[in-house]
Amino acid sequence: MADMIVAENLAYWYGELVAVDHVSFNVAEGEILGFLGPNGAGKTTAVKMLTGLMRPKAGKAVVLGLDMAKNTEKVQGEMGVCFESANLYEQMSALENLKLFARLFGIDGFDPYALLKRVGLDGREKDRVETYSKGMKQRLMVARSIINRPKVLFLDEPTAGLDPSSSESILEIIREERERGATVLLTTHDMEEADKLSDRVAFMNKGKIAALDTPHNLKQQYGKRALKARVAVAGGKLEDREVVMDTPETAKAIQELFAREKVVTVHSEEATLEDIFIKITGRGLTG
Amino acid sequence: MKWSIIGAIVSKDLSLYFRNKFIAVITVLGIAAFLVIYLVMPGTASVTDVGLYAPVVPPAFAEEDNEHIVFVMVDSEAALREAVAGSDYSVGVALPADIMEKFARGEKPDVKIYSSPETTEEARELFRNFVKGLAFEQTGQLASFNETEIVLGTDLLGQDIPLRERMRPLFAVMLLMIEMFGLANLITVEVERRTVQGLLVTPMRVRELFAAKGISGIILSFVPAALFMAVVGGLNSQPLVILAAMLLGAIMVTGISFLVASLSNDFMSIIGWVFVVLIIMVIPAVGIMMPGTITGWAKAIPSYYLVLPVHQAAHYGSGWGDVWQYLLALAGFDLAFIGLGIMALRRKFQ
Repeated sequence: MADMIVAENLAYWYGELVAVDHVSFNVAEGEILGFLGPNGAGKTTAVKMLTGLMRPKAGKAVVLGLDMAKNTEKVQGEMGVCFESANLYEQMSALENLKLFARLFGIDGFDPYALLKRVGLDGREKDRVETYSKGMKQRLMVARSIINRPKVLFLDEPTAGLDPSSSESILEIIREERERGATVLLTTHDMEEADKLSDRVAFMNKGKIAALDTPHNLKQQYGKRALKARVAVAGGKLEDREVVMDTPETAKAIQELFAREKVVTVHSEEATLEDIFIKITGRGLTG
Repeated sequence: MKWSIIGAIVSKDLSLYFRNKFIAVITVLGIAAFLVIYLVMPGTASVTDVGLYAPVVPPAFAEEDNEHIVFVMVDSEAALREAVAGSDYSVGVALPADIMEKFARGEKPDVKIYSSPETTEEARELFRNFVKGLAFEQTGQLASFNETEIVLGTDLLGQDIPLRERMRPLFAVMLLMIEMFGLANLITVEVERRTVQGLLVTPMRVRELFAAKGISGIILSFVPAALFMAVVGGLNSQPLVILAAMLLGAIMVTGISFLVASLSNDFMSIIGWVFVVLIIMVIPAVGIMMPGTITGWAKAIPSYYLVLPVHQAAHYGSGWGDVWQYLLALAGFDLAFIGLGIMALRRKFQ
């Protein structure tokens, strides 16, 4: 499949501070790439260069096979961007917001009601956005980003701070967009969300890509699987035991655990993306 | 340029402008307040008393029936000088005792015109011509007296025009300028709430955004000022010249608004900057409306080239040929402000 997003040695710096340090990666057609990293890692600056909001100081951003710096207008007509903080016209209704952007994209015969229904905002179409909850605004942001049925979708923390229900409805829309054929670059702090949605994840740290692979491969490479057991000991107390999986001694260790201890509960445990991120970068995603 | 995109942004801006209750209220109140002030001002020109010392009064002077100028006889030339110096009269005219004999012999009598120090050249010229006119009536000859002395005096030229009409261009310019609040606020809010980022990831180009903001700004400043002038009869003389000057003024206001928006983060900072600009920009307007109150340095203030053509066209019927150089200077200021404003705002958008 063709690469829809390509970062070639992309770099940006603010004076002495290097925000993005010669980063290279690609996102294939129909793929969801999770872009993970703590605040200040350079994710937003990288996305701004890929969406044409900023010119790279070095390197090249290629989207839909076109150099973004030379074809900004053409590429932007085919992409959608959802920002982390809601930047909607709050004194206008959802309907007016969508109609405005439909005009900017030159879309004829646009049905804003259908799109608002899809994101669960039917019935509130004509209310001013300033009266919406955070979750409703975020759903409207997502609706705005897919108004032109984009080939490439950039989503920056689309579910940050939302309740599980709003969050799930947004994740469902992202899945639907992928099924439609859209390529998605998903920037997020939420490793669980990235794990569920992403075909591959990129760990960004201090302006560089620290690791890039499928969540499964990263877990295989950097994580350890374990069997966690809770056992009853003298005096009725409970204690935890751990058996590392995938070693030659695993089978024997499990057998001994059940023979020697009074096992109350047992479950398997996999490393999370956050565990792996910490292992690779030495810092947490929220740091 | 994609005009459909520019049209979408302009219509959004105008809609948002009037949804901001504060801005909408000050716009409407601004027009209403200036209309009220205009209507309560004197609708007729004031009468100027002119001191006259004349041992012999020529019939033309005695029979003079000008509705704006009344001659008041004084007893001596010394008393006349004292009265003018004490501002009892704006101007004093002293005629010689042998005036009629000299007229009869075809000679030119010596006439003295006194006025106080603030009088402009225009006002002095007006009275010189007025006295020459009376002498012409008396003798049937042009330049039939020797003007031997002129003591400068207060503004008299403007007093031929009712106060409210003199203030009309000032009000129109104030209405143009006051829209800086609204336009600068529209842009600042767009940047601070990051809605501009949403626009810049669509097929809209930055130049189209500037074009849209510029058109919104020109509409918002020009329309209220033009409406005001139309309602108060300010477009009765040379309407095209006045409208052209105001349109150029609206472009200048838009450029200044861009600069103000680039320097501001919220409405309080906008208010601060706009007041500084307003105070400076109103100075030439006051000076032109009330000659003698300011000196030549006011010509360095851009609004001078807006108020002057509006004033001259509205009050003296000056046409394109009389005011083109002012309009050209104003267009130059427009280019400078728009250029600087775009440069400053472009940095902020990024």
